[in-house]
Amino acid sequence: MGAAPDPVATLQAEYEALERAYSTGHHGVWTARRRAELVDVALRQLFERAGAPPGTAVAAVGGYGRRLLLPRSDIDLLVLHDGSDDDAVAHLADGLLYPLWNTEFEVGHAVRTPQECEHACERLDAAAAMLDIRLLAGEKDLVVDAAARVEAWARRDPPAFAKAIREDAARRRGRSGSTAHLLEPDLKEGSGGWRDLHSIWLVEAAVGRRLEDAGLLRAREREALAGAEEFLARARSALHLETGKRTDRLALDHQPAIAAAMGFEDEPKLISIDGLMRALFEHAREIEFILRAVVERLLEEGSPAAAPPTSPAGVLEALADEAEAGREPSAALLDSIDDLDIAADVVWDADVRGAFLRLLRTGDRGALSLEILDRLGLLARFVAEWADVRCRPQRDPYHRFTVDAHLTSSLRAMARNLAGEGSADDPVQAEAVKQVPDPDALLLGALLHDIGKNGEGGHVTVGARVVESILDRMGADAPLRELVTFMVSQHLLLPDTATRRDLSDENLVLDVAAAVGSSERLAALYLLAKADAEATGPAAWTPWRRALIRELVAKVQHVLERGEMDTELAEELTERVDRVRYLLEDEPDSDVERFLQRMPRRYLLTVEPARAAKHFATITPPVGANEVRAVHFEGARTGTYELLAVARDRSGLLSWIAGSLALAGLSILTAEVFTTEDGVAADLFEVEGVWEAEVPDRRWREFRGMLRRAVDGSISLERRVDEKRRWYPAPKVPTPVTVVLDNATSDFATVIEVGASDRLGLLYDITRTFAELGLDVHLAKVATYEGRVVDSFYVRDGMGRKLMDDPEEIDRALRVRLET
Amino acid sequence: MKLVTAIVKPHRLDEVKDALREIGINGLTTTDVEGFGRQRGHTEVYRGAEYQVDFVPKVRLEVVVDDADTQGVVDAIVKAARTGKIGDGKLWVTDVQQLIRIRTGEMGPDAL
Repeated sequence: MGAAPDPVATLQAEYEALERAYSTGHHGVWTARRRAELVDVALRQLFERAGAPPGTAVAAVGGYGRRLLLPRSDIDLLVLHDGSDDDAVAHLADGLLYPLWNTEFEVGHAVRTPQECEHACERLDAAAAMLDIRLLAGEKDLVVDAAARVEAWARRDPPAFAKAIREDAARRRGRSGSTAHLLEPDLKEGSGGWRDLHSIWLVEAAVGRRLEDAGLLRAREREALAGAEEFLARARSALHLETGKRTDRLALDHQPAIAAAMGFEDEPKLISIDGLMRALFEHAREIEFILRAVVERLLEEGSPAAAPPTSPAGVLEALADEAEAGREPSAALLDSIDDLDIAADVVWDADVRGAFLRLLRTGDRGALSLEILDRLGLLARFVAEWADVRCRPQRDPYHRFTVDAHLTSSLRAMARNLAGEGSADDPVQAEAVKQVPDPDALLLGALLHDIGKNGEGGHVTVGARVVESILDRMGADAPLRELVTFMVSQHLLLPDTATRRDLSDENLVLDVAAAVGSSERLAALYLLAKADAEATGPAAWTPWRRALIRELVAKVQHVLERGEMDTELAEELTERVDRVRYLLEDEPDSDVERFLQRMPRRYLLTVEPARAAKHFATITPPVGANEVRAVHFEGARTGTYELLAVARDRSGLLSWIAGSLALAGLSILTAEVFTTEDGVAADLFEVEGVWEAEVPDRRWREFRGMLRRAVDGSISLERRVDEKRRWYPAPKVPTPVTVVLDNATSDFATVIEVGASDRLGLLYDITRTFAELGLDVHLAKVATYEGRVVDSFYVRDGMGRKLMDDPEEIDRALRVRLET
Repeated sequence: MKLVTAIVKPHRLDEVKDALREIGINGLTTTDVEGFGRQRGHTEVYRGAEYQVDFVPKVRLEVVVDDADTQGVVDAIVKAARTGKIGDGKLWVTDVQQLIRIRTGEMGPDAL
């Protein structure tokens, strides 16, 4: 007689044959049962080989007990004995376990007497496994006894058991997260995963009859659970087969293969891996929701529905009542909502709108209510566009949740922040909240900011369009609509600008201020950026990001406060820019755009389009290192001229221009200096002749020649100005020199205001003092009023900073120069 | 081999990345960091609320390069990160004793 085939080798061969018989994505519940049958056969043989000792039995428990073995599932065994012969039991255990351990099978085991089984129930996982006990071989009575004891233990107090199940689910959710929205979910331990699903059947075991008969489960729900079980069995099996390991975390790497194996294909607006994840999330949500409902029904928690709602508005009102009272909606209320036949595309009347906003205002509980409505398949009947973001994964390094879960989380975060949570650490938040004109707009903005992530691409643009149509149907009033649409369409403005652009660039800050338009909107965007980041994941609202966003917010706020930009100015800027484009329509577009981009926004706001268009030709060509261009035009008044001087910006340039003007007999009435983004100075002066009403050409020639030589360093302006000044007496009653340094007015420069009596070369004296101190004049406003000059200079030090050290030195240097 | 570490302004990162790509360096590790050097912390004000900003956000980037490429990488980073204003950051070069590509086990310059 030949040796009987080795049971484990046979089992391995059968496993492999089964794997080959079905493609990777089609190992579902059926093959799981088949696998359990195969293992049953092998174990019975092993039991016989071990001598089938009397007073012992071997039983399947856990998933194996339920006849569900996935390709790499543990085989959970319970060796039962009557306690009469410990040696025989040890021998049996060896005979069962060693052959399996020697191969790739993972075996979990326990050795107990029926009485010990009862004691083991103190641990929920042990009790749960034993509730699925099934005799494989040996003495049936032992298994019957153990099963009866475990069942009796569970049935002693079904509510306590259900609570323990619920606590266990919460613990697992804390540890493994949710299978219902994480991008890399744990299919087994996660909330809404395989274990939650079987927890429902554990409750059934504890109740002792079909959950439907006990009024704890609805027929629809059992069907949903069956579908979820098949799906999870297939997905987990595919993952086991794909990785060759007993792994249950559906990592990003594996998703393409699993999606392909399970037959998901790219669809319009939904790629195959997203299709896989969406299907998974939908099943997991059913499981999460039904487990929660079953336990609540059993515990009869929550107040019964006062009167079952009868209309869409009634549904929201009932949920809002509960949320405002700080309660979770009762199972009874949810059942009555589930029974109500709500038509698709609910018509938003004042009642629906009012109740919806009431829900949002309750924050956390409101968000939960929305999630529940979603689980019941109802949220998309109120907001049809919700269907497109529902269960949609987000594939980027930051997001961990699906779009819809991210949106309800953002709502929660926004409500928390509006209520002042976290404001102790964030003074900007506290002040921003005070600016908010309408909290409802912020809550709606948070809930809908990513509604454009519907697979079309370009979610910000799409979102702005989608949200308009939602608000339209809601019948939201104009201010609400305007603010929410603005928030959705600009929700990336602050984070993107803050993290990618140079915040020391004043033009940039002005552009952001122009896009924002008001302090209220800025506050709304800050609060949205914060809520958005907080709802994205722990990595998103870092001190790093926060510091950058706050810096931008503070700078934009200052610009708005000082009136340097607001909605009107932004419109004016747009109009002026368009006008310049129109006036320069014969010039190459790219040159005109480059011109508009390079020039400081303040230039475009100060200089009328007609003048700017005249400047174009002088400013546009590249400027050589020592090149200086000076052109003059008729001034605004008779006898005045506009002078434009263009050169590479450098320390001293302004003083050379001022000095050359003084020497050429030209008096400066006003001056404004601008610096382009690429470091070219465009200085504008309003001048008049000191001696003639009409300045003759030779003076202009003299000026240009002087300036050119000053720039290339071939003459000393200082000596010439001093010499010339000797012939002109100082004013008879000199007004005192005043110097005021101000670091508060601008985020980009220190403002130095100098007042003094007018005299020949005054501006030259001031600006050369700055040059000697190593200061760059970034912007200057010079004005002369009847012999007294008040000039403001926006200056920075050699490293582009505001002046932080030694204001006295500047004050002293200016006084010394101007008072002598 | 050398490890080139640089602290740069966040908004220069793209330029630095492009500059390195141009000279054939494709691997780069970046970290969001905060700190201060000569550009000290400062006080910010938003609607009257004053708060201290002790650390300035920067990006740290690290590249391991062959000795021969070190100067080119250093020059590329310095050029791309420079704005001429305060807070442009710092760069330093350190020796690397060993480098291993974890996937294949390749060592030294092979693992670059």
